[in-house]
Amino acid sequence: MTKLFVSLLMLGIGSAAAAQQPAATVIAIPPLSSPDSGNKGNEMLAIGWNVTQAIEADLRQTAEVTPLKPNRDDYYPYPEVTGPNFTKWRQAKAKTLITGFVQGRSDGRVTVGCYVYDVEKARELGRKGFIIGANDWRRAAHKCSGLAYTAITGAPGIFDTHIAYVAESGVGEARGRRIAVMDSDGQNHRYLTAGDAMVLTPRLAPKGDSLAYVSFAGGKPAVRVVDLNSGQERPLVPNDAISFAPRFSPDSSRIAFSMMLGANSDIYVVSANGGAPRRLTTSPGVDTDPSFSPDGTKIVFESDRGGSQQLYVMNADGSGQRRITFGGGWYASPSWSPDGQWIAFTRRGQDGRRIGIIGADGGGEKALTSGPGDEGPSWAASGRELLFQRSLGAGRATIYRVALDGSDPRELVTPQGGSDPDWSGVVE
Amino acid sequence: MRIKAAFLLTLLVGATVAEAQLPGLRRRAPTPQQPVLSTIDAQRAEFAAQSGGTTVYFGSDSAIIGAPAKATLGAQAAWLRRHPEVAVRIEGYGDGLDTRDHALAVGARRAEEVRSYLVLLGVPGAQVSTTSWGKERPGLGRAVTILVR
Repeated sequence: MTKLFVSLLMLGIGSAAAAQQPAATVIAIPPLSSPDSGNKGNEMLAIGWNVTQAIEADLRQTAEVTPLKPNRDDYYPYPEVTGPNFTKWRQAKAKTLITGFVQGRSDGRVTVGCYVYDVEKARELGRKGFIIGANDWRRAAHKCSGLAYTAITGAPGIFDTHIAYVAESGVGEARGRRIAVMDSDGQNHRYLTAGDAMVLTPRLAPKGDSLAYVSFAGGKPAVRVVDLNSGQERPLVPNDAISFAPRFSPDSSRIAFSMMLGANSDIYVVSANGGAPRRLTTSPGVDTDPSFSPDGTKIVFESDRGGSQQLYVMNADGSGQRRITFGGGWYASPSWSPDGQWIAFTRRGQDGRRIGIIGADGGGEKALTSGPGDEGPSWAASGRELLFQRSLGAGRATIYRVALDGSDPRELVTPQGGSDPDWSGVVE
Repeated sequence: MRIKAAFLLTLLVGATVAEAQLPGLRRRAPTPQQPVLSTIDAQRAEFAAQSGGTTVYFGSDSAIIGAPAKATLGAQAAWLRRHPEVAVRIEGYGDGLDTRDHALAVGARRAEEVRSYLVLLGVPGAQVSTTSWGKERPGLGRAVTILVR
């Protein structure tokens, strides 16, 4: 009876989601203008063209927005930045329009302004301006893309975000692993570890200034925290216990993690600056993979205290622990969505491991991938898609991204094989 | 170990000096002697031979030590009591089908159960340390290896 009810509920949600799925919004991105003239004007227009093309590339990755191909012939004079030719873009079937400008400054940097308009209503939806180094145009583009994406969907954009993951080379005993971080569009790729020790599960602080990960450098797995600005590193807890599964709180002030005490794995929380950890769970089973709710008041985690791995939610002080998954099989590696609505998980059954989501209250479970070697979901800042790891046999792993709309997962391009992806929030 | 390192170092210094003194002249390097079988290898071989193996196996998602494992660990404990100068590291493994962190915890739990059992049989706690490889090393699911180090 319960099973029937659950599947009916899932059907209902599935069709509702399909019905709500709107056609992608068409957006026009004519080349950015400039108030400058002469050589400087040409220089600014060249930067503007770079920004324009980068905005197009950003928005083309999304399921909700379809950009018209930018055309250099669509150049408009500076006053039209704030007074665009709506008739022209209505005829081009664009619903939304981005205009903007690049202006040189006396200190060598440039001012970039972006404006987003509803073409049909001839109304401004938002604007953003910033001063950047002339070579930093890509970040300006990401900010403009985010402005447009949020104006259209209401959700935060994912363009100015970072992805941390474990870069893998070789297979079997020769498998080498390094922690790597890159921008979400694949730019600025860099390695944080040398590859001389096994490493796992990098987790970025939401503020973007530090990263926690698991290293086997000391002979046993232990969480380490690295400051991304200074490169300085320290163990999370100053003991020789096995510790793993770190995750930052949404305000970056605390880190929840698992630690072994004898044969028992429990969840602890510790200030991100160090200090004594506080124990949150005491069950004799394996409690691990804690993930904070976006308001920081709750933690979802997995536990096999009831005989099989299931998801539980507790208050951030450890009180009020209750199970939320009852769908059969094992549920593991939960991750709370940035909008608070969903919890993504790995579900393990006879036919392998798949990624799914369930409402934070335990209702409306939905499978997102077909497996059989999928695990470790991590949310995009938009709350509309996830990264996860897919094992392809022989120990090889690749990172994929999948949207909540039920479309097929797409491979995330990384220089090498990759596992354990972690997607940051929007960088301010 | 130390003996081997010193031997290599000598060889290296000898070659450098020879080349520096006789530029253009090639002198044959001395034939390396068969290195003495290091103590640790001998201990490992003896430990494995006398305790019926260095690996014990577990059931799915379980850290319960079964009868075959108890027999192996009993022999290991007897050997370790006779060799209090030898330290061992107990390395736990998880199931490759499991999720990463759960496999890490299960491997650690298996290693810790083995350690507790050896201590129960009279092996001093300081002689045994534990770690877990989870599912990060292929081939050895649901097992614990006891490694002389």
